[in-house]
Amino acid sequence: MKLRPFRTAVLGLSLLIPAALVAVVLFLVIYSGQAMAFNGFHFLTDVTWNLGDLYNDPVTVKGIQVPSGAEYGILAFIAGTLASSFLAIIIAVPLSIGTAIFLAEAVPELERSARRTIPWLPPIRPVLAMLVELVAVVPSVVFGLWGIAVLIPFLGHHISPTGNGYGLLAASIVLALMITPIIASTLYDALSQVPKENRESAFALGSTHFEVVTKAMMPMVRATLIGGVVLALGRALGETMAVLMVSGGGINILPTSLFSPISTIASFIVSQLDSAESDPTNMAVRALSEIALVLFLITLAVNAAAKLLSSGALNVRKH
Amino acid sequence: MTNLSKLLRTGVAVLAIAAAAGAAPRAAHAQVDVPLIESGSSLLYPLFNAWVGSYTASNPSADITTTSTGSGAGIAQAIKGLIQIGASDAYLSDTIVKKNPTMLSIPLAISSQAINYNLPGVGALNLSGPILAGIYEGKITQWNDPAIAAANPGVALPAHVIVPIHRLDGSGDTFIFTQYLSASDAGWASTLKFGTAVSWPAIAGEVGAKGNSGMLSALGNNPYGIAYIGISFADKVKSAGLGQAALLNKSGQYVLPTVENISAAAQSVATTTPADERVSMIFAEGPTAYPIVNYEYAIVDSHQPAPAIAEAIRDFLKWSVTEGNASSFLNPVHFLPLPPAVQALSLTQINNIQ
Amino acid sequence: MSASISQPTGPDTPGGKALRRTIISMVGWIGCGIGLCLVIFPLLDIVGVVTVNGLAALNWDLFTKNTGGAALGMRNAIEGTFIITIFAMAIAVPIGVGAGIYLCEYGKNKTGSTIRFLSDVLTGTPSVVLGYFSYIVFIISFGWGFSLAAAAITIAILIVPYLARITELALTQVPNTMREAAFALGSNDATVVFKVVLPAASSGVITGALLALAISVGETAPLIYTAGWSDYAWSGKFTHSPVAYLTYVIWTFIDQPDAHSHALAYAAAFIVMMVVLAINIGVRLTVKRSVR
Repeated sequence: MKLRPFRTAVLGLSLLIPAALVAVVLFLVIYSGQAMAFNGFHFLTDVTWNLGDLYNDPVTVKGIQVPSGAEYGILAFIAGTLASSFLAIIIAVPLSIGTAIFLAEAVPELERSARRTIPWLPPIRPVLAMLVELVAVVPSVVFGLWGIAVLIPFLGHHISPTGNGYGLLAASIVLALMITPIIASTLYDALSQVPKENRESAFALGSTHFEVVTKAMMPMVRATLIGGVVLALGRALGETMAVLMVSGGGINILPTSLFSPISTIASFIVSQLDSAESDPTNMAVRALSEIALVLFLITLAVNAAAKLLSSGALNVRKH
Repeated sequence: MTNLSKLLRTGVAVLAIAAAAGAAPRAAHAQVDVPLIESGSSLLYPLFNAWVGSYTASNPSADITTTSTGSGAGIAQAIKGLIQIGASDAYLSDTIVKKNPTMLSIPLAISSQAINYNLPGVGALNLSGPILAGIYEGKITQWNDPAIAAANPGVALPAHVIVPIHRLDGSGDTFIFTQYLSASDAGWASTLKFGTAVSWPAIAGEVGAKGNSGMLSALGNNPYGIAYIGISFADKVKSAGLGQAALLNKSGQYVLPTVENISAAAQSVATTTPADERVSMIFAEGPTAYPIVNYEYAIVDSHQPAPAIAEAIRDFLKWSVTEGNASSFLNPVHFLPLPPAVQALSLTQINNIQ
Repeated sequence: MSASISQPTGPDTPGGKALRRTIISMVGWIGCGIGLCLVIFPLLDIVGVVTVNGLAALNWDLFTKNTGGAALGMRNAIEGTFIITIFAMAIAVPIGVGAGIYLCEYGKNKTGSTIRFLSDVLTGTPSVVLGYFSYIVFIISFGWGFSLAAAAITIAILIVPYLARITELALTQVPNTMREAAFALGSNDATVVFKVVLPAASSGVITGALLALAISVGETAPLIYTAGWSDYAWSGKFTHSPVAYLTYVIWTFIDQPDAHSHALAYAAAFIVMMVVLAINIGVRLTVKRSVR
């Protein structure tokens, strides 16, 4: 067989990614081993999270030293994570599609006709595209601050029945704003790469411009769209600071409405890590590792689902 | 995993060589003196910043970095030797001291906490440990609850649901607030206890907020809310038009967190502070003593790896509890100086750092 | 095609159906426009908040003085972010782009889809978990202490999957005919990739690199436990020496009681934004020029 040094080299590089993941997962599994033994399945099915009494002598349960009263149940955080991320995707996907289509297809034409009357008009599209990309770098703390200063009072005064704007909806909207640029810019790039022939043949068939976009172009970029959504979902699942600041931080409580206080797994880990470090038995930190592991399993499941979806999409394209 | 780390190490080595040229002139500037790192409590952070700014101005050879991470991280990293001074709102627990007998808890200054409320039309409000415990347990849900009304004769309390606001991140503020509830309410003491994070009971409509700034915003955003906020934010709370509650102390008096009432608490604990200075000032004796007051601690290992490091730590900490206790440093954050007896104890502990 | 709202052009289209199609198109465009507005206005507001507060806080001291305890300036943080980002990118770009090349060019098999899958899973890892991993492994087990090496590796792990996936997505858009033509001319694998495919997809790859850059400049959680923080300039050591970074200024100083610290936090956020904007514009201009 012919040796292909280039292929081997890039394969080697790409294997570093799973290697990093495996290293992290192995670390978490080993580190959380004792927590798994202590928690058993209750970890996933209980709503009560209690670090226990960190300031008194620990007790020994099942042969493991833990703070007295310690109880680690994360069902509420799983629910909060899934609810906020999926709601964010539901908000973000249509917005991103609209944004990308408008930027890629409508803005150039609007600009052309507008320039006839206002010749000195600056280029709109690069400026808008730049703004969308700029948002990707706004630190998530700033998103959180904006959420507290603008979004929460708005939700509290106009939408929330109790007047309290913190909670699931606020977290989802902030998340949606953070991930929209990711989806929109991937989709925008893909739309502008659609070969001219495909567009023109659709026009030749008598389609309106909008039909060209929706019937000829969108199906071609569907796989890319799903790829972008998966990236975005990954970001949403792992986002911490902004969520922490607007989610209302529910613990020991399952979300029942859009205004229920929630915590996501990622934001909860951040909020508890400092207190966990003051646990002399180290069990709290181990339990947090176990939560991180659960988040891994969730992203694993989400990605598996996305993979099924996108392979379905590819089949459609082949017909 | 070892393969990965080997690879990463190799990568770093390659980069190191690549960057050596650029970094070399910098390395020459590397300190001849001893760099110290302080890390931990976000409550102490502004004070440490002011201290270090002034201390390094008069001691140009000093090299001290201040970091805000959280009391838990400060303690853990001081024990691991990653940092030299851990800043903590809480003293080390017995369990930690048993495991790490060389770790010291050295009070540097006195802090306190206000209970703030957002009640349109209510100018003054009396609250007690049991009332607050009831609110945060979800047993007292209305502002016109008989328990609150009994503590506030003549005050027109609104018939509105209470929005309890608590810290979401691990916090010294949560620690001293829940210590007050544990000290004054037997029910709380037996179930929820105290800590930098507690297992808050589920209450529909509660709000968890991040940091004291987040607490302040959440209280401002939620009429009929109640929150516990560190005293260093008192000016901001006032300018936001939010109320400050008088709290029931051990002598049965309702007292506000004024300078006099906080020092009254500090004085009453000063005489009973043990040599290792690990003592709670919460719910102190005294007719005017404010009930939520605490020492802010430096967590330091008394066995330092080198005499020069020990000396640098001693010099800075000595300065902190003497000159650093001047009102010009403490007033902006509304902290109070250590009483003389406690200052002497702290100096003795500081001298034990070797 | 005149304007975006087009007339049906087919000669034999029945009138009623044509009207319906025109209306659907109209509604569609308006919907897309509303979507754009819903995205643009909050984002404009967020960027505006940072700009207004940041501009108000800007002064020369920020760039010339170190934080040094008294929150004087943030030269140390600007430098630190720059150094951490450069080293993180130096580790991540070769790996990420290389992986992207493999995934797109040769990865249409089991190995490729496994790597793709695991890479997406790594993307979903909260950055604080990576930070904690590095804290235990590098800082404590390896004994590096708070250090540049740990910070750069952590950030690199964080951004590699983004780079890989976006590179792959960008390369996928390059038509196969180009590759076939290059191979037909007798080029080998490396030449095809470096001379044909990568240049054709450069804007996408650069977008990915920018996104990665943005993430690495904007991250806080993985740095708190790896870079630590220093009030002074980086000492030049890779281990045993904490490094300052801009997001620490934002994350910590925003939660301080005094107005001065708040101003510093917004100035830091503004600088982060401006730096990335500058890179963004610069890259765009060079890409345009090289394409022509």
